[in-house]
Amino acid sequence: MPKRSRLDLLQGTLDLLVLRTLQSGDALHGWAISERIREISENVLQANQGSLYPALHRLEHQGWIKAEWGVSELGRRARFYRLTSSGRKQLQQEAENWTRLAAAIGKVLEMA
Amino acid sequence: MTLTDLLLRIRALFFRARVEQELEDEVEFHLAMSRRQHLAAGNSEEEAARLARLDFGRVGVIKEDRRGAQGIDAFESALQDIRFALRSFGRNPGFVFTVSGTIALGLGLNLALFTLFNAYVLRPLSIRDPYSLYSFTWSERTGSEHAFSWDEYQQLVKDKPAFSEVVAVQGLYTRVEGHAILGELVTGNYFQMLGIGTTLGRPLVPEDSDAPGREPFVVLSYQAWQSKFGGRPDIVGSRILIRGSPMEVVGVAPRDFQGLTESPRDFWAPLSMAHQLQDGPDLFGAGHPESLEIVGRLHAGQSVSGAEAVLLAWSQRMTANLRKERKPAGILLHSHATSIPLTSELLLVFSPLVAAFALVLILSCTNVASMMLARATARQREIGIRLSLGAVRARLIRQLLTESILLSIPAAIFGLIISRLTIVAVLWTVFATIPKDMLELVHDVAHPVDWRVIGFMIFAALISAFLFGLAPAIQATRVSVISSVHGELNSDLRPSRVRNGMVIAQITVCTLLLIASGALVRTTMAISAFDIGFHTDHVIAVETTENDRRRVIDALSSDPGVDRIAAASSVPLGGLVPTVMASSQNGPTISTAHNDVSPDYFEMLGIPLSRGRNFTALEATSEAPVAILSAGAAARFFPGLDPLGQTIRLGTTARVVRVIGIASDIVTCCIAYGKDAALVYRPATASKTGNVLLHVRGEVETERHRLDTRVRALAPGAINDIHSLDQYRAMGIYAFRAASMIGAAVGGLALLLTLSGIYGVVSYFVTQRTKEIGIRVALGATTFMITGLVLKQSLRLTAIGIVAGVVLGAGVARLLASQMVFMRDFDVTAFTVGVLLVLSTALAAGYIPSHRAAQIDPIQTLRYD
Repeated sequence: MPKRSRLDLLQGTLDLLVLRTLQSGDALHGWAISERIREISENVLQANQGSLYPALHRLEHQGWIKAEWGVSELGRRARFYRLTSSGRKQLQQEAENWTRLAAAIGKVLEMA
Repeated sequence: MTLTDLLLRIRALFFRARVEQELEDEVEFHLAMSRRQHLAAGNSEEEAARLARLDFGRVGVIKEDRRGAQGIDAFESALQDIRFALRSFGRNPGFVFTVSGTIALGLGLNLALFTLFNAYVLRPLSIRDPYSLYSFTWSERTGSEHAFSWDEYQQLVKDKPAFSEVVAVQGLYTRVEGHAILGELVTGNYFQMLGIGTTLGRPLVPEDSDAPGREPFVVLSYQAWQSKFGGRPDIVGSRILIRGSPMEVVGVAPRDFQGLTESPRDFWAPLSMAHQLQDGPDLFGAGHPESLEIVGRLHAGQSVSGAEAVLLAWSQRMTANLRKERKPAGILLHSHATSIPLTSELLLVFSPLVAAFALVLILSCTNVASMMLARATARQREIGIRLSLGAVRARLIRQLLTESILLSIPAAIFGLIISRLTIVAVLWTVFATIPKDMLELVHDVAHPVDWRVIGFMIFAALISAFLFGLAPAIQATRVSVISSVHGELNSDLRPSRVRNGMVIAQITVCTLLLIASGALVRTTMAISAFDIGFHTDHVIAVETTENDRRRVIDALSSDPGVDRIAAASSVPLGGLVPTVMASSQNGPTISTAHNDVSPDYFEMLGIPLSRGRNFTALEATSEAPVAILSAGAAARFFPGLDPLGQTIRLGTTARVVRVIGIASDIVTCCIAYGKDAALVYRPATASKTGNVLLHVRGEVETERHRLDTRVRALAPGAINDIHSLDQYRAMGIYAFRAASMIGAAVGGLALLLTLSGIYGVVSYFVTQRTKEIGIRVALGATTFMITGLVLKQSLRLTAIGIVAGVVLGAGVARLLASQMVFMRDFDVTAFTVGVLLVLSTALAAGYIPSHRAAQIDPIQTLRYD
């Protein structure tokens, strides 16, 4: 397998990934979200941890996710995030946009 | 902003410590998890902690970032923006200077206008409670304004409808010690009601006007004391002659009080002196002459509309026994809080000036916006990097706007300095160019920088900051993150379109201003060159008091320097000619001006009688029922008929007069209105009527001074007014000269700003396309082709701007032409000169950068990238 470098996330896509991670309905804390993004993308995508928390915060302000305090698997206090219904709608819309964009770019690349 | 967002922000604001703690807990938890992972991978405890922190980035930075996102620290981020902006200004002082200088030009001009407007219209007079002072009268059904008789004033004092205090005022215009003097006779409570004291001596008090004629006291204005009485320290107690009556100066008014009206008052004397000082029927006599104006102080808490209702009822009661047409049609209450009341008519008159000045400020802003845009484009890489690092666009726009506002601070300060210099220059110009007989009537009002001026300055500076800062900020932050990081600049950016739009707008405005001021200059030239139909040279007009008329005429007619003497009820070019409705038999009824003149009038002024004959001396003394018509009047009364021998009926006198001659048309009223459309001359003699006209042999101003002094020695105060007709003419034209001087200054400034604006844009265009031009040169383009390429760009914009400017200019010229007789709808010269000026400016501004473009060395430029 050829060595693939990790890609930095483009602005805006981090929001999409966070929303997608939370789609299962589970409440996750920040660490779990960043780990899940890395695992699912097979180490290709690395959420910049520094930008993850601002992103979480932004989404919370938009009302797309909701935060509550809970107890983590380590027995420590942690902040858990959960998708709201308006967040679900937003995710659907952004995912569609992304798919359309990706398809379009793919076509252009094939043609070239 | 969503509701959730708002709630979270409010929470962050009020529970800051708790929110911060939560933030810390969250980050701490993340680090703990990260440490655990690194431990599991076989790192030592310390190594794991280090790696975790490394993964996360600098903890402090993240937290700051999140605080910014929470918007709880707008103040702190504003401080950051200011520090950042100041740092970048420090690196580029030339930019700061250019920007603030350009804005200051436009700002200073507007600030100067506002300062003067404030001084006359907004700044309250320095009297007690100026806002409750109102002048009161009513309009009669004939349309004329009512003037009060002494009895009516007495009744008003007794009834006090709506007013707690009232004063009666009567104007008095005369000459004292060789100076034109405009004073007021006032009731004794005048100073008391206004609540003002004196600089020297005492004010008038009610006891001064206890009984008619007993108390010859006068209070001078500070300015009159200084300019017309030499500022003598012993003025109080001395006597001056007003209309020949010795009056004791009892006081000098405060420096900041020159009466309640826009024309400055030189003195105040008790109204009880009216009998001695005024011509005509005795104010207190049986004739009950109506010649008083009323100013009163409304009761505390009295509304204007309430006062109007009360006063209407009162005026109806007062006029109950009068003829129908003398009954009140409407109450007129005018505020006396400021020198000139702020009315919609006033705003309408000043709106062209305000519009022109505002356009100059907009021009400055456009220039600066263009510079800011160029700078922002140069900073695209910086902005792109900041955006890709997660900076929020709104925050960046805010930061760029902070820069604009910071730049507007020195601009405001420069602007204030420029405005003070402008005012000094304007006043200097006025004093240097105004006809000197007019100078004595100019109100030299204080024009301080007060809170209103400062408020306007801040307001205008902020508006400018947004005008020149917002568009570039929005443009500049519209950056593609990826391409800017890769160094491919302005692929996605369309600043050129915005900038082109700004250049077009600039040229449009400039063309418009040049055309308008050109039309104004042309109008002034037309008025100055206008043939008024008679000779003004060597003619002096004298207005005497009725009592001394005989003596003055004897003195003047026996004077060796005077070779001819005539009389006219209205001085030609004097600005005032009464009109009357007149009709011919079976003919139309026409509103016509009329002037009673002596037979010498026509010969002295060189007005040819094209037909018929002049008045005879006998007709003049007997005021025979004959008339001479102006050619215009003859054509309108008797179209197609021979006017000689016909009769016309003159309005209210119901007198029928026979036409004995036709005189050429002249300007009798006002030079700005052109020749009188219709004018009827009636015979009169100098001994009975109006103004005396003198034809003198020597230099007219010397003679005027000599005659004034001579008559004064003979009969002090007998001359109310004495001017040469040349001065009357100059006074009639002066307003236009002043307007065209302002117009020329505004036009010149607009041209200068446009020059620098186009220069900036074309230079930028050349810098941007250096590579392309280099390639063109390498491929064999000649100097001529390159210059043409660049010039074509600027000329295309210029052409669009000029077309728009001409269309707007035509509209404005039409509007002005409908108000001014001498202004033409479409003055080809003004339009041509305006367009040529703009065009040559655009060419000049484009030529230098285009020339530079042609010098581009292809090898050099291609090697650069």
